[in-house]
Amino acid sequence: MRIFKKKDGGIVQLIDKDDMKEWPIELPLLFIEYIRNKQLESYGSAKKDVESYLDEIMTDVAIPGLVNVLEGDDNEKIILALTRIEEISKKDIEMAKPIKKYLNYLLEKNDKQIVNLAQIISKNFTNAERKKELAQKRKYMREKENLFLEGKISGEEYAKARKEYLTLKE
Amino acid sequence: MAKKQNNNVYDLRAAKDLYFEYLERGKEIKEIDLPPGTVKIDDLSRKEMLNRLYKLVDRVLEKIYTTGRPSIELPSRSSTNIIWDEENDLLLLGKQIMEKQFHSLTSVADITRLMRVLEVVYELLNEDIHATKREVFYTDVNLFQEQKNSDKSIEDAATMLYTTRNSTHIVAAPKGTCVGRLRIRDRNDIIDLEGLGSGGWTISPMLDNIEIIESDAEFILVIEKDAAMMRLAEARFWRKYPCILITAQGVGNVAVRMFLKRLSKELNLPVFSLVDSDPYGHYIHSVYLRGSKRLSYESPFLATPNIKLLGVLTRDLDKYKIPQEVRIKMNKQDEKRTKDLLNEDFLKKNKAWEDDLKLALKLKIKAEIQAFASHGFKFLTDKYLPEKLTTGDWI
Repeated sequence: MRIFKKKDGGIVQLIDKDDMKEWPIELPLLFIEYIRNKQLESYGSAKKDVESYLDEIMTDVAIPGLVNVLEGDDNEKIILALTRIEEISKKDIEMAKPIKKYLNYLLEKNDKQIVNLAQIISKNFTNAERKKELAQKRKYMREKENLFLEGKISGEEYAKARKEYLTLKE
Repeated sequence: MAKKQNNNVYDLRAAKDLYFEYLERGKEIKEIDLPPGTVKIDDLSRKEMLNRLYKLVDRVLEKIYTTGRPSIELPSRSSTNIIWDEENDLLLLGKQIMEKQFHSLTSVADITRLMRVLEVVYELLNEDIHATKREVFYTDVNLFQEQKNSDKSIEDAATMLYTTRNSTHIVAAPKGTCVGRLRIRDRNDIIDLEGLGSGGWTISPMLDNIEIIESDAEFILVIEKDAAMMRLAEARFWRKYPCILITAQGVGNVAVRMFLKRLSKELNLPVFSLVDSDPYGHYIHSVYLRGSKRLSYESPFLATPNIKLLGVLTRDLDKYKIPQEVRIKMNKQDEKRTKDLLNEDFLKKNKAWEDDLKLALKLKIKAEIQAFASHGFKFLTDKYLPEKLTTGDWI
C-alpha cells in the first residue's frame, strides 16, 4: 500500500500502482475516477500528494495498459476495453481522454463492433465539447444580459449574443 | 499498560500509537518464519493450484505403474500433530505423515471421497468458479452420505496439496459482515464499505477476487455479536473514530478470519476484539488470535496474532459499574470451559489474560456486551470503547 500522512495525524492508504498492473485495463481509470470524485476531498492535507499519485497511476499504469490493448490485434480485448471506456466516457469524459488520439485508427478497423463503439465514444467527446462550449456561452450570455439590463450595452449587441447562443443550443 | 486520561476528550491516543508502531514495524516484517518441524502451507493462484494438482496425480499414476498399489500421503491432522508455535503464537501442523492406501478396506471409502473432492476441485479451478462446502456434498450425496464426510475430505484435500482451503475454490457460505473506512475491489467493481448502509458488506468467501484498494482507518474492531455491531453501525462509529468494523456472528469462519488477517497485514492496522465476558467470548478471541485446532494447517493465513482483547473484560464489570442484575452467574459448563482455557499454553503465557479469566472464575460471573445498555444505549459507543482505545486498556 502507498501511505499518505495527513497533518492532523490521520493516514490514507492506497493500493500500490504496481499491483494494478494485473487489473483489467479499464479498472485503473475507474479507480482514479473513483478516488478523485468520491474520496479526495476528505484527504485534507494529503490531497495534493494523492493527486500526484493518481497522475502517476494514469501515466505509468492506466495509459500504457490501454495503449497496449488498443494498438494490439486482439479484437475481443479491444471490444471489452472500448465497452468499458464507453461507460466511463458517459460518466466522466475527462477520464476517457487518453484514448482520444486512437479513435481515428479504431474507426478504420475492419470490425463492425469496434467501429460502432469508437463512433459512440467519438460522439460522446463531441457532445461533451458542445456542452462545455454551451456552458461558456451561457455564462457569457448572462453577463451580457446583466450589462443590457444595466444599460451598459445596446439592444443590438445583446441580440447578437443571444442569437449566437441560441444557434449553438440548437 | 493503561495510560491515564486527564480529560474527557477521547483522542484514541493509545490505539493510534499502536498503529504508528505497526506501520514502522510493518516495513521490516514481511513473512512469518515457521519453526522447524512444522508444515508450510501456501496460498496459491488458480494456475499454481492446477500445477500442484497435476503433480499429485502424476505421483499417484507413477505408483500405479511401479508398484500397482497406489497410495497418497498427507500430513496428519490429529491432535498429536498440532504444535503451538510460541514465538508466533500460532497453532501449526507438525510433520507427521499418514498414508492412505487405495487397496485397503479401512480407507477405501475415505480415499474414494477424497478423489471425488479432487475431481470437484479440478472442475472448479478449470472453470474459475467457486462452490460452497454444502454444494460439494450435494455433488455426490450417495458417496459422502453426511456433510461431515465431505467436509473432512475437503480439509484432507487442502492439507494434501499443502494449500489453503480457499485456494481449492471450495468456500464456506458467507457469514460475516464488514463496514467502515475501507474500499475494496471485487473483480471489476469498486465497493465502498462506508456507503452500504448499516447492514454493511457481506464478507465474500471468494477472497481471491477481493483486493484492498483504499482505507483511512486507524484500527479494526472485531465484534462477536450482531446486536453490538448494529449499535455501532447505527451510531456510524467509524465516522467519528476512523475504523473498520467486522462481525462474524460468533466464531469467525475461514472467510472472515482470512479477510481480517489480510486487512491487518496489508494495512498494518491494530485489531481489537469486543466479545462477551464469558469463556465462549474468550474462546472466539483465541481463535482469531492463534487459529483453531481443526484448521491448524491454515493458521498462518487465518490467525491474527496481534489482535488485542479490548473487552468485555471481567475487571471492566466493576470498573464501569455494571449493575449486579445484568451480570449472569456462571454455570458448571462455563466453569469447565474457563478452566480448560486456563490450561492452554498460549493463555498461561499471557499473564493479564490469565488474571482476568481467574477473576471470572473466582467471582463466578459472566456478562454480555449488551450489559452496557444498563447505562444507556450510547454508553458503548460514546464512553466504553473510546475510553478504552484512548487509555490502552486492553489485553
